[in-house]
Amino acid sequence: MIANGTVSGGQGGTAGGASRSLVLTPLEDLKGFLSLHLGRFALFLLACSSVLLVFLIFVFVVQEAVPFFAKFSTVEFLANARWYPEADPPEFGALSLIVGSLYVTITSLILAVPVGILAAVFLSDMVSLRTRDLVKPVVEILAAIPSVAYGFFAVLVLAPAMQSRWGFSTGTNILNASIVLSIMALPTIISVAEDSISAVGRDLREASYSLGATRFETILRVVMPAAHSGIIAAVILGMMRAIGETMVVWMASGNAARIPSPWWDLSQSVRTMTATIAGDMGETPKDSSHYWSLFAIGVVLLMMTFMLNIVSEYFLAAAKRRTGKV
Amino acid sequence: MRLLIRRITDKFFTVLTSASVILLAAALLVVLGPMLLRGAGAVVFDGTVEFRRMQLDLFNRGEADSIEDEVSRAAACRKVVYETIDKFKHGIDVEELSNEAKRIYRLFGRQLRYEGVTGDEYRRVRSLARELRNRLLEAFGSNDRALIERNVDRVLRYRGHRDFADSAASGFFTLAEDFLTSVESIDLNKRRQYADSLRQAEEIIFRLLGPRPDDALPALAMERYGATRWDMAQQLLDDLLWSKQWVEAEPGRPMVKVRTSRAGQFAGTGLEGLFKYVEDNLETMLRPRFTFYWQYLIDDSTPGHYFGGVGPEVLGTLLITLLSMVLVFPLGVVSAAYLVECASDTAAVRIIRMCINTLAGVPSIVFGLFGLAFFVLFLIPLFGGPSKPCILTACLTLAVLTLPVMIRASEEAIRSVPQTYKEASLGLGAGRFVTFVKVTLPAALPGILTGAILSLSRVAGETAPVLFTGAVALGPPPDSLFDPTRTLSYGSYDIAVGDRLAMMVPHKQYGMVVTLVLLILCLNGIAIVLRARIFRKLKGQ
Repeated sequence: MIANGTVSGGQGGTAGGASRSLVLTPLEDLKGFLSLHLGRFALFLLACSSVLLVFLIFVFVVQEAVPFFAKFSTVEFLANARWYPEADPPEFGALSLIVGSLYVTITSLILAVPVGILAAVFLSDMVSLRTRDLVKPVVEILAAIPSVAYGFFAVLVLAPAMQSRWGFSTGTNILNASIVLSIMALPTIISVAEDSISAVGRDLREASYSLGATRFETILRVVMPAAHSGIIAAVILGMMRAIGETMVVWMASGNAARIPSPWWDLSQSVRTMTATIAGDMGETPKDSSHYWSLFAIGVVLLMMTFMLNIVSEYFLAAAKRRTGKV
Repeated sequence: MRLLIRRITDKFFTVLTSASVILLAAALLVVLGPMLLRGAGAVVFDGTVEFRRMQLDLFNRGEADSIEDEVSRAAACRKVVYETIDKFKHGIDVEELSNEAKRIYRLFGRQLRYEGVTGDEYRRVRSLARELRNRLLEAFGSNDRALIERNVDRVLRYRGHRDFADSAASGFFTLAEDFLTSVESIDLNKRRQYADSLRQAEEIIFRLLGPRPDDALPALAMERYGATRWDMAQQLLDDLLWSKQWVEAEPGRPMVKVRTSRAGQFAGTGLEGLFKYVEDNLETMLRPRFTFYWQYLIDDSTPGHYFGGVGPEVLGTLLITLLSMVLVFPLGVVSAAYLVECASDTAAVRIIRMCINTLAGVPSIVFGLFGLAFFVLFLIPLFGGPSKPCILTACLTLAVLTLPVMIRASEEAIRSVPQTYKEASLGLGAGRFVTFVKVTLPAALPGILTGAILSLSRVAGETAPVLFTGAVALGPPPDSLFDPTRTLSYGSYDIAVGDRLAMMVPHKQYGMVVTLVLLILCLNGIAIVLRARIFRKLKGQ
């Protein structure tokens, strides 16, 4: 309760004025009280800036998308796969874009999750601290490389190699984008998963070892079940990273707005939501249907990540509760 | 037996986890290795005399005298190439030869009139000259060797004739002689084919050696110089020596690349030796020398990205990142301070935390949309500014993007300050505010700075948010904060897929992205070192 300036300037009633009274006058008390609470309130307001920003993001992205939803059917937008915004009449079927995003995201997760979890186990359970300090920078550098550099790698190194060496008909396809995205999602998955795996604690592990279980059995039967919420959160965070990524998919996925058929053929080109926004925004006049439709895609994207975020928070909180209890 | 299986599974699992980490390291190596290697080529390479000439012309760099000396020495060696080509052309280029013959004829007529030859005399000499011209034209246009020789012989018989002595008509005889010697070694029926092949070869030689010394200077700067780098020259040499064609081996099969020797195309002609000559003397013609072109980092690029460096991009990136950091740093630290020092677990604080997490999860392209809709179209016009993407809007957008990163990093740093520090300060009678400013903040500052540097590196690499809020691929350097700027990140994208010209200079493409990656890795390196020092300090106490 002592705010700044509490011990200053009191003209106390004691004789000689050599020592000041430690008892606050009511005015000083009030001043201290006010400055503390006002200061705290000002800090609170500043801290609320992130709330304001989230609010503004929602408002402004939705506001630009409203004319689109007013003019075109939402069901059509989400269920039609034909995306011809510049045709006459234009067709705004974002399904192919949503499917394209899901394709690269899920494929990249299929590639990244096993490697990520194994690497997290390696870091937390397999090696000494010294080796860990050697491997950690690798993960950090992978996380630090900017997405445009990954895209550059995808389009100038991986794509030509795929086309000429491995006989793909086009180098920019789902597989290319997914491979590069999985490399990008790995650091997120590894660090979150490793945190939750090491948070499980020695006691559970030692109990398991003392019962004669091997390391593999301990990790599979004891550590993994205990850390499962954190691992799920890691996968979801990796997924958010992959679905929101723009540059790599724009450069590497081929940008053909169609649903792949047959569905298992990953050597086809797709177009994702993020790539569509990035690619089309430069060419649309402001306040046209095409322009609004890009904001509508932004809203879909925002909703998706928002939901994923809530889910991941739930699992992270669950992980915290669990390790807290254990 | 079961124990054995269990032990094997365990070992297998160990191997598997190690393999995943090795895979990780391999991925890093595969992504960064070739990029760094080829990107280094933008700075360290063997520059040719053309490179030094370009540097002198465009950037006023280097000693004019010594470069001129080099150029003239190279030109002496190149002269042979041009002469051989010209000589060979005499045998195949019907149109040019015919024009030359007609020109000589006209010149001769004018000369006669100038000398005052008139009347019958004039008509007689003139008609004789016309006959010579017509015979030459017939010879040039013919594919029949006997006919050519007969006609040229007739023409040459007039050499030394008193009518033509010391006149423009002597040009007829040198023309005829040159033609005869060059025709001797040529298969006349393949003239058209020769012309095509020669055109291709000349095009490559143009790109290799630049324009001929006596030609007019091309308008485009990129056409004024030959191969500026030795590796480019080697590639062009290969193109010159071998003509490559994509041929369909069988119907339905992928195309195959077929290499045919260009010297073989000119077999038996005077041009056959040229290719060997160029191959042997390329070094004298281009004079490659080891070059450390550190100015790559400060030079402007002209034109497009063909020559020069990434100076404006580096400047723009630094400007945008630093400015957005200035915007986000105070806000991030204050928010973190509130969350650590003042906030209890109330609903409001929980909402704030959730919003921070949401903000961290928003896709970067949505930040771009938001920046466009809010800063560019709403906020800046609200204060009377121009409603167009500019540096300021890009900085604001990036500041919003890094706010959660900054808050989390500062929070962690403030939290890691030992409780004893604060207790000591509070025990001495300092208030909470004073304690925070004088004790907690200085102790947490290295950690906060580490976080700041990490967010700085994140900002430098972000491309999607600045796509519509202030980055351009090409353009003049900005005058104020209300101009758009070039950035390394958007430049890397553009040079990789958007720029046709840049496809011809891969070292420029890689150079740009490597500059970006190295900048970011340097920032990260600083952050890692800083963090290690803090860690040691905290452990030491």
